[in-house]
Amino acid sequence: MTTLTMEKVTKQFGRNVIAVKDFDLKVKDQEFLVLLGPSGCGKTTAMRMVAGLEEVTSGQIFLGDRNITDLPPRKRNVSMIFQNYAVWPHMTVYENIAYALKLKNMDKQSIDLVVQKTSGMAKIDNLLERYPSQLSGGQQQRVAVARAIAVNPDIFLMDEPLSNLDAKLRVSMRTELKTIHHKAGATTVFVTHDQSEAMSMADRIVIMKDGEVVQIGTPDDVYHRSNSLFVADFIGTPPTNFLKVVIKKDQEGTHLKNAHLNLLLEPGTAKTLDGYSKEKLILGIRPENIILVNEEDASLSTSCLVTEPQGSHQIIAIQLDDKIIKIVAAADLKIKTGEDLHLNFKQETLRFFDPETTLALSD
Amino acid sequence: MALAINTERRRKIGKQIVPYLLVLPVLFYYIAFWARPVVQQLVQSFTSLEGQFTLNNYIMVFTDLNFLPALRNTSIIVVFSVTLEFFIALLLALLINRKFPGSGIFLFLTMIPMALPAVAVGALWKTGLTTNGWINSLLTYLGILTEGGKIYWLAGSIWKLLALMIIIDAWQVIPSIMIILLAGLQNIPKETEEAGYVFGGNYFTVLRKITLPLLSSTIQTAVILRLIAAIQIWLIVIVIVGFSRMPVLVERIVYYHEEVPRLTISPAMASGYTIIVTIIVSIAALAYLWVSGAFRRKRKEV
Amino acid sequence: MASTFKPLIKASRRTMFYLFVVSITVMIITPLFFLISLSFLSTDASYSYPLPLLPSLSENYELTTGERGYLLSLEQRNGEYKTMLDTDDMEKMAVYMKTRLSTPISIPELEELTARVDHEGTVYFKRRSDLLNNYYTFFQITRDAGPAFIRSLQIAGMTILISLSIGGLAGYAFARYTFIGKNLLKFSTLFVRMFPAIAIALPMVIILAKMGFYDQPIGLSLVYSIGSIALTIWITSSIFMGIPESLEEAAQVFGATKFQAFLRVTFPLALPGLAAAAMYAFLGAWNETVSAIILTQFNPTFSVVVYQSLVGATGQVNLAAAGGMVMAIPSVIFTFFIRRYIRQMWGGMTI
Repeated sequence: MTTLTMEKVTKQFGRNVIAVKDFDLKVKDQEFLVLLGPSGCGKTTAMRMVAGLEEVTSGQIFLGDRNITDLPPRKRNVSMIFQNYAVWPHMTVYENIAYALKLKNMDKQSIDLVVQKTSGMAKIDNLLERYPSQLSGGQQQRVAVARAIAVNPDIFLMDEPLSNLDAKLRVSMRTELKTIHHKAGATTVFVTHDQSEAMSMADRIVIMKDGEVVQIGTPDDVYHRSNSLFVADFIGTPPTNFLKVVIKKDQEGTHLKNAHLNLLLEPGTAKTLDGYSKEKLILGIRPENIILVNEEDASLSTSCLVTEPQGSHQIIAIQLDDKIIKIVAAADLKIKTGEDLHLNFKQETLRFFDPETTLALSD
Repeated sequence: MALAINTERRRKIGKQIVPYLLVLPVLFYYIAFWARPVVQQLVQSFTSLEGQFTLNNYIMVFTDLNFLPALRNTSIIVVFSVTLEFFIALLLALLINRKFPGSGIFLFLTMIPMALPAVAVGALWKTGLTTNGWINSLLTYLGILTEGGKIYWLAGSIWKLLALMIIIDAWQVIPSIMIILLAGLQNIPKETEEAGYVFGGNYFTVLRKITLPLLSSTIQTAVILRLIAAIQIWLIVIVIVGFSRMPVLVERIVYYHEEVPRLTISPAMASGYTIIVTIIVSIAALAYLWVSGAFRRKRKEV
Repeated sequence: MASTFKPLIKASRRTMFYLFVVSITVMIITPLFFLISLSFLSTDASYSYPLPLLPSLSENYELTTGERGYLLSLEQRNGEYKTMLDTDDMEKMAVYMKTRLSTPISIPELEELTARVDHEGTVYFKRRSDLLNNYYTFFQITRDAGPAFIRSLQIAGMTILISLSIGGLAGYAFARYTFIGKNLLKFSTLFVRMFPAIAIALPMVIILAKMGFYDQPIGLSLVYSIGSIALTIWITSSIFMGIPESLEEAAQVFGATKFQAFLRVTFPLALPGLAAAAMYAFLGAWNETVSAIILTQFNPTFSVVVYQSLVGATGQVNLAAAGGMVMAIPSVIFTFFIRRYIRQMWGGMTI
């Protein structure tokens, strides 16, 4: 296993479609890195360039210290799990795994050994004689995983491998893929558009938009310290609530105000705004960081629009003008539609965004 | 109460009967206009003019001086045209297998030769292959023939004529086989081949071990359907070469039925040749149905 | 190092690819081009060698006094005038100019010209060519071409009716029901479809004669329907399968009977596919020759007429080309409309 380095990698299709732009990335040894973004953001293209399935327009790709930018896929020693599995339909499960090894000129006995070992790891050792058409989607997925492990690659590439599975299987396969990743100790790049998948699996997440990297960080980083409106909105369900406010300073301190809200910032929080000269601001607050308080402590009072019980907790929706704000509250709280709510925010979790640049004011 | 059960049951039976009612006309039609004539033909071929059982009709065909040449010529055309067409078409399909500006028009263009009625193809090549025809004219314009020089396309041995037939057939058929194979290639998920490259295959190993095996049912279908069509070649032969100079099986049938219908042997000969063609084509058709999986139980798809 | 050559290699690969596509196109188009061009050539031009690549849109003539009357000469490709006719019979000259040279002219016009010749000596004039002349002539001089054309259309129409009504029902049954013998029936339709036409046509002579349909359009459409029913079943069943049954069920839930639901929901959605099936049946009937030869005597189809004009020794290439073109045009047009279905069909029918 090894590291992956991408330096200023750009991919241009035709004359004016830029799929990936100046992409810089360093994947550490044994790291599980997730490329996350909405469809069409260039994450799959970026991965396909690592596999050699897409030519690089400019920039360099290194695997360890090997420059693989212009190598054909077969000389890169990577392995890949495709979205539709891409198990070869005319080969049995055994042949599917063995063929990848045969292409690497392994002798028959070693092939047999590796197939036994990897099929055991992927729990398909009882299906070796079957054809893919006789397998369920989940089983085909396991074949693809076994085949990918078997070749002992420098890096694993996974292109939305779970998106074709049904919801329940998808969640259980997450755990399994992660277990396999730990066992194999494999450097992995995993592409997905599902933020909860990314959060639950990644060591680090790379969030992409329109071919460019928006934020790189641990799940914790991107969730709690989103660096832009895009990330704050994309990560988390329900997503971050945004409120348009203006900054008003008086003797009491710094207030954030709009038609509904009058929030006095604690001195520590207000410090974040030092050096910010514009009047308008967007306030970002995660649903679980809005708290119900007494009327006199409230910075925001409104009535409950609707509640959505979730079992372990409930989601309360309120409406401010045309905007729906969601709050995560304890399940045992009895709240009725129309009931008056008095709210305040956990100040240390507030994020401030410049409405013009859409970037966060603090790191 | 009892009445209710009764109508319920009647409705149920009625529902089950619907599909049979829907397919009944087809069944009836096939029996009246397909099975009946075919059986009649078969019976008749074993019946003498006096109404007795006889093998004479067949003996007559088998001892016909033109039978072996017809069989040989047909076989040569079938074998050479199908193999030649298939390999060239495969090569073209592999080279063209991608979208490009104008590919829609190109694909339609390639369909035209196959879509043309046989008589139009006859007109096309008849006007081309005469000594003053467009082929010689074209060669003159291209400077391959000297001014006033001519190639006598239709003079010479049967082998030359056979080669001409194969080339004409190739012109008509290669583009459409190419389309069939292209469609087959495009049905192969791109990732299946990409997985081959990622796991260490080069172009030829992926072609040999992944693409072609996945294409094999398309290939078999195309080849057998072409085989069936090639066995029945006749019009182009008559239009270009004329009757009896280069006999082929179906040409013999038309010959006895149209050209010399009044000979006493003609009906027997026409029907004998017909049965032979029918048997050969049926075998090919069954082979097609075999490879297309009609006989196989459906594999369980999960 | 290798990357400096990359754009170059890529560009040359692209050029090769297009060269390749273009050369295939040229190989397909060249014969078609000559067939089209030939069908517009005047008879005189079609006897010249090498054949002109394109028909001339007009001809330049020289008219002067000749030994027998007036001498008509035609300007050749090299600019020289070649004597065509020496006559004082204006009607003969007019006919000659129309049939041989595809430049129709009226007798008064000719008389006006000859009057000028009498007056001024040599006269030069230009006439527009009638490009469709061969097409008119083909229908005029080929015995039965006009009625045969109509008959072919009739036969195709009846084939469409028979195969769509019978095959459409079965196609619906195949798409919506499971029943005993379904696979056997599917199998037989495929087998029937591949059965040689001639094997049915020959014994059908007697059967049709008994029914009084021998040498009649209806007889041929009965025969053609055998093959096209199978195709119709295949096309319609795939169409009906593509229309979710839930749409019909929705109509039923809102109060329609099963039949109404079919008529108001499924049928309109299936129309484009049914049109394709109809065009397919048309092509099958229009293009067919061998059954038509066997099952007609005095009432041939158009394809038989063209076939006979090709086999007959007369061999005016421009007329043969015109006949071939009349055959080809409907086929190519309909093929264009249903090209997608045809491509699937050639790819083989799967069960």
